[in-house]
Amino acid sequence: MSMTLYHGEPNGPSFTVLAALFEKSLKAELIRIDLAAGQRHSLPCAQQAEVAMSVEGEGPVLVVDDEGMADSVFVACYLDDIGHGPALRPADAYGRWETMTWCRQLIERAAPAAAYLGCKAHPPRADAAMLARIGSVDLRNRWEEMSAGVFAPEKLADSAAKITQAVEKIEARIDGRDWLMGPFTIADLESYAWLAGMVRVVPAAFAGKPRTAAWMERVKSRPAIVRVLALASLPDPAASWAPGPEINRWG
Amino acid sequence: MSGVILYHWEPNANSGKPMLALMEKGVAFSSHYLDLLGFDQHKPEYLAVNPQGTIPAMKHGNLVLTESTAIMEYVDEAFPGPRLMPKDPRDRWRIRWWMKFMDQWLAPSFSMIGWSVFIGPAVRSRDPEQLKAAIERIPLPERRVAWRKAIYGLFSEEEMKESQRRVAVGIRMLEDALSKREWLGSDQYSLADVNGFNLAYALPLSQPKLSSDDLTPNIMRWLRAIYARPPTKACWAMGRTAMVKRVAILEQPHIGQEPAA
Repeated sequence: MSMTLYHGEPNGPSFTVLAALFEKSLKAELIRIDLAAGQRHSLPCAQQAEVAMSVEGEGPVLVVDDEGMADSVFVACYLDDIGHGPALRPADAYGRWETMTWCRQLIERAAPAAAYLGCKAHPPRADAAMLARIGSVDLRNRWEEMSAGVFAPEKLADSAAKITQAVEKIEARIDGRDWLMGPFTIADLESYAWLAGMVRVVPAAFAGKPRTAAWMERVKSRPAIVRVLALASLPDPAASWAPGPEINRWG
Repeated sequence: MSGVILYHWEPNANSGKPMLALMEKGVAFSSHYLDLLGFDQHKPEYLAVNPQGTIPAMKHGNLVLTESTAIMEYVDEAFPGPRLMPKDPRDRWRIRWWMKFMDQWLAPSFSMIGWSVFIGPAVRSRDPEQLKAAIERIPLPERRVAWRKAIYGLFSEEEMKESQRRVAVGIRMLEDALSKREWLGSDQYSLADVNGFNLAYALPLSQPKLSSDDLTPNIMRWLRAIYARPPTKACWAMGRTAMVKRVAILEQPHIGQEPAA
């Protein structure tokens, strides 16, 4: 079985999937695409439902037997299932519930906030022809708004608050342990993926959070993560953003 | 005894997911019914179990679990009984993909329509001061917004139109997926089907212009196949409201397309 991974800069969801791939000692053909230019929408599998309608927005796509797989946490679970070495989810059912619940709440709250703030600070730039290819109407609307520089002040403020809450949650969780779930897991990968780029965008959220800072250093110094970050083609991959999951429409 | 207490509302949407998963696994549980329309989920007794005030929650011994889809994965792993996740890792990915798509994209749109036509009107006529106090007791700010919109009918035309658009897109996607595989995302009955049934069991009644045996034969085949399972029958028999009894529509052998108005 051969795998191809179309990925962006090692930040956000691309970070999670690259990290899971390397942590699990798996091989895939790595093809870099510019997510911030909408290049995911010109992939051969772009119109498959699970790629076109991924709730994650612009993220990496793992192709296995012509099937495009999107949504970084679940792709990471897949790589965890097929790969080698230590598991990226706890061994017991409750620990796995905690991991999935952590990721779900992060995906729903911090990830849309990070993508919104990240795109405001580092605007994506897709041309009209690329925008026309986007299969999901609501994702295309997010692209159009962001390309036009339309960012609602109340959404920016709410997003900054969500980042602060996410960091507070990590700071509380890391008390007396190295990793969020005890053992190193996908929750560490996904949390780092969305928050690393926020250190410069929402510095106040990280001020006076020594345990979070130390946790980020531990993530960064893992051998697999060093390899992931070495794939960057920009001086600061954490400054690369594209429209992500949408901010909750209601309740 | 399994030591499981489930705090739930009707077999519908999020509450119904762990209810049906437990019943499929044959896990006996102690049922703790919360009346969503009576705001039981925001009362101190329940907030002591789940401080976020969201339904459902499950106790297993000393453990407390929330988030309905994650609870279902726990139930599948922690108890014996038929496996509700396939062995194949790619099938597992697809099932999780569909559950997230439903939980975070499609269900909120169904829900906005349901809250605007069912939940809001059901509680709107109560004492305004009591309603105001009930809203203020809601712990999560997002849920406070949702209830305020439902109770006071504040959904904008644009929001409702967007929800209806998403419902139409989602129904087409489900029909396509179920034309390729017997079950949602795999060839085996799984948590994605449990999840999807909770979302779609009354589809031909709630969206007659978009779903019927003529328009969506695969969705109808799928809904009837799930409804035919004894755990589904037992689960829906626990329902108390007219909303849930709409499931009986699936007993009709053929539901034709509603004539255009």
